[in-house]
Amino acid sequence: MHIVDGALSGEVLIGGAVATAAGIGLGLRSLPVDKIPTAGVLSAAFFVASLVHVPIGPSSVHLILNGLAGLVLGWAAFPALFVGLLLQAVFFGFGGLTVLGVNTLNIALPAVAVYFLCRHGMAAASPVTAAVWGAVGGGLSIALTTGLVALTLALSGDAFLPAAKLVFLAHVPVMAIEAALTAAAVFLAHRVKPELFRAVPGSIHGARP
Amino acid sequence: MKRVTPLLLLGVLCVAAPHGAEAHKVIAEAYASGDVIEGEIGFSNGDMAIDVVVEVFDDAGNKIGQTRTDGDGFFTFPPTRKAVHVFRANLGAGHIAERRLEIADLPPIGETAGPEPAAPGTAGLDRAERDLVAEMIRREIGPLRREIAAYKEQRDLQTILGGIGYIAGLFGIGFYVAGRRRNRDG
Repeated sequence: MHIVDGALSGEVLIGGAVATAAGIGLGLRSLPVDKIPTAGVLSAAFFVASLVHVPIGPSSVHLILNGLAGLVLGWAAFPALFVGLLLQAVFFGFGGLTVLGVNTLNIALPAVAVYFLCRHGMAAASPVTAAVWGAVGGGLSIALTTGLVALTLALSGDAFLPAAKLVFLAHVPVMAIEAALTAAAVFLAHRVKPELFRAVPGSIHGARP
Repeated sequence: MKRVTPLLLLGVLCVAAPHGAEAHKVIAEAYASGDVIEGEIGFSNGDMAIDVVVEVFDDAGNKIGQTRTDGDGFFTFPPTRKAVHVFRANLGAGHIAERRLEIADLPPIGETAGPEPAAPGTAGLDRAERDLVAEMIRREIGPLRREIAAYKEQRDLQTILGGIGYIAGLFGIGFYVAGRRRNRDG
């Protein structure tokens, strides 16, 4: 899922960096003070999730957990995932520093999209309903990310459809695992701390009943 | 803190989960082998890049030629001129293998199999014997080379904990700054 240095053209790199900078700006503005620790924990979870590998045929893919980050953080997923990606690049050599912008965009934009799509479902009174929406969000964010990865590769010269098919098919098991994982996390959080999914970006205080 | 407990648990689970093979990093090697450049391309988990086109460029980016990897990820390329050789292979899905071979590391070019002055330390061996010895050494260090490449990719618990520490610190600073700002404003 991490595109490496040298695989993309300069225009795509610059475009990705600019879009990511805008996303981080938006995310930091919408991050209330008491959500900062949550963002940190999700960033750390994303950081280590990349080490959990799912073997698939000759290759293997890893967990991403961007859906969960998006569902909880909304736009603030941008800075959280950016930090995770930055440290993955520095510590593990995943991706690279020049492609950081594109990689952040590919992973954080689906997270934000999922947040807006599943926002109402997340606020449902029943934990089961919320968990189902969580599963949808967890799986969908991976699917969207594969689409974006294929698109960025296509913009740099690869043919879109074969690349998209390849990346998408490789990540079907990850989608299933992340859907289950996100559903479980949402279910748990819904019972233990329901306001986690209720805080509206921009509000200073999370809604505490 | 209570609200983040489930997530923290998830993070711990992720760390504790057995780490599978890493398919991320692409490893490319190239070295002089007799009269040709030999190399191998694969992933850091030991999977090799099978039947992939390897393009060869010089320092300025001009294409010198191309070759293909075999069923074990190996390729050979006979160099035709003294130049920096850059081997590039696109393994798909954003994986690019690249390996530079400096001029000093190139195999002898243009030297035919005729008699040549024996290098110091190889006195008493004719060319065939020397080639044989070189071939044996290459075969011996092949696994070592792979092991070193895999070792370079290894990440241990310290690295992971270090990364998490950085994240905690970064967000701690953010928290501190935001908290101060809020105290000042309110």
